[in-house]
Amino acid sequence: MEWSIETVEGATIGCPQGRVDEESWELFLARMNETILAAAAAGHRFVLDLARLDYMSSRGLRALTIAKREADVHGVPMALARPNDRLREILAISRYDKIFPVTASRDVAD
Amino acid sequence: MLVRFWGTRGSLPVAARAATIERKVARALVAAGGRTFADEDEALAYIAAESDFAAARTYGGATTCVEIEGGDGSFVICDMGSGLRELGVDAFARCAAGKPREFHFFLSHLHWDHIMGFPFFGPAFDPNARIVIHAGHADAEEALRRQQEEISFPVPFDGLRAAIEFRTLVPDHTYEIGGLKVRTIPQYHSHTSYAYRFEDGDKAVCFSTDAEHRVDDMDNERLFEAFFRDADLCICDTMYSLAESVTMKADWGHSSNIVAVDLCQAAGARRLALFHHEPTYSDEDIERMHRETIRFEELNRGERPKLEVLCAYDGLEVAL
Ligand SMILES: [Zn+2]
Ligand SMILES: [Zn+2]
Repeated sequence: MEWSIETVEGATIGCPQGRVDEESWELFLARMNETILAAAAAGHRFVLDLARLDYMSSRGLRALTIAKREADVHGVPMALARPNDRLREILAISRYDKIFPVTASRDVAD
Repeated sequence: MLVRFWGTRGSLPVAARAATIERKVARALVAAGGRTFADEDEALAYIAAESDFAAARTYGGATTCVEIEGGDGSFVICDMGSGLRELGVDAFARCAAGKPREFHFFLSHLHWDHIMGFPFFGPAFDPNARIVIHAGHADAEEALRRQQEEISFPVPFDGLRAAIEFRTLVPDHTYEIGGLKVRTIPQYHSHTSYAYRFEDGDKAVCFSTDAEHRVDDMDNERLFEAFFRDADLCICDTMYSLAESVTMKADWGHSSNIVAVDLCQAAGARRLALFHHEPTYSDEDIERMHRETIRFEELNRGERPKLEVLCAYDGLEVAL
């Protein structure tokens, strides 16, 4: 998994690329947590842009849960943007689409 | 081995109301579209061909009670929920046909929904029956005696005529009980609960209800992957959605379909039975959860062999 950060007006955007699985989920979580801290310092919301994520196992859901707790602690709103079809389905089955705003475009995520 | 589900609901027994049955019958009549049936058998065959479970059936509303047939032929029963009453009635018929009156119970824990059937278990009143109650809890006897104190129930525990004994089991130990190899493991739940693994030759069944698997506890996850390893059937607590289990219902001691699939896939188990259904769920809700779990298993499978996802209902039998 690769990770990059972009900032736009009012939002810090984390962009994972590749796979989140058994091997990489802890790195994925660490990167999210760092980015949440950066967002908190900047007074931004945190958007996780999933567009370039090819695959996420349920380890990724675990990481999202822990990251959400971190974001809540720092008062940082967290949203998920641009999941692929498979991921969108997993977010629906796990009802994670009820605890995270999920948007088709990262610009409108808030 | 044969696994027979007598009670599959969590927390509280529920029963279908008149309007629910009316709705099912009305839908079935509409679906039949004027077709006629010579007799009940023909109508039953028509229903059996219907793939939509909730249309003509119900998952049932009795609380936790699962029977495992195998080993030396004595009764092996997990938990004493309200489903136990009916098992007791059936046991009389089987004992009359020659089955030994030897009953081995294994208690996940002592919450009400898991012990409430015992005062209604007919064989407990049979002076020729022998009942051994195995539990990870040393206070199992106290819990069963207490629910038959006069303030709660008219017949005291000492009024039961069967020979009843209690045996406390410890984790990390393999027992030989009723001709089965039995192991137990503690689970995260209020006052702790215990999962059991039963092995008969090369077949294995795991019974794991009222268990929370916390999202940040990797040690717990590894222990359960090992406990479920290569099981033919894992019966798992899938009461809540994953989202509920990590937000408002975190620390309530229950788990989700997502975590159950995850653990079973990692363990290389062959079948998963969704279990301890939420009492507020309708048959349609439970069926939807079943369909979604089958889909999630497919999405999460990767290169691993297929895990068959069953949804437990009162009356389901699974032959292994
Ligand atoms: Zn329960
Ligand atoms: Zn319980």
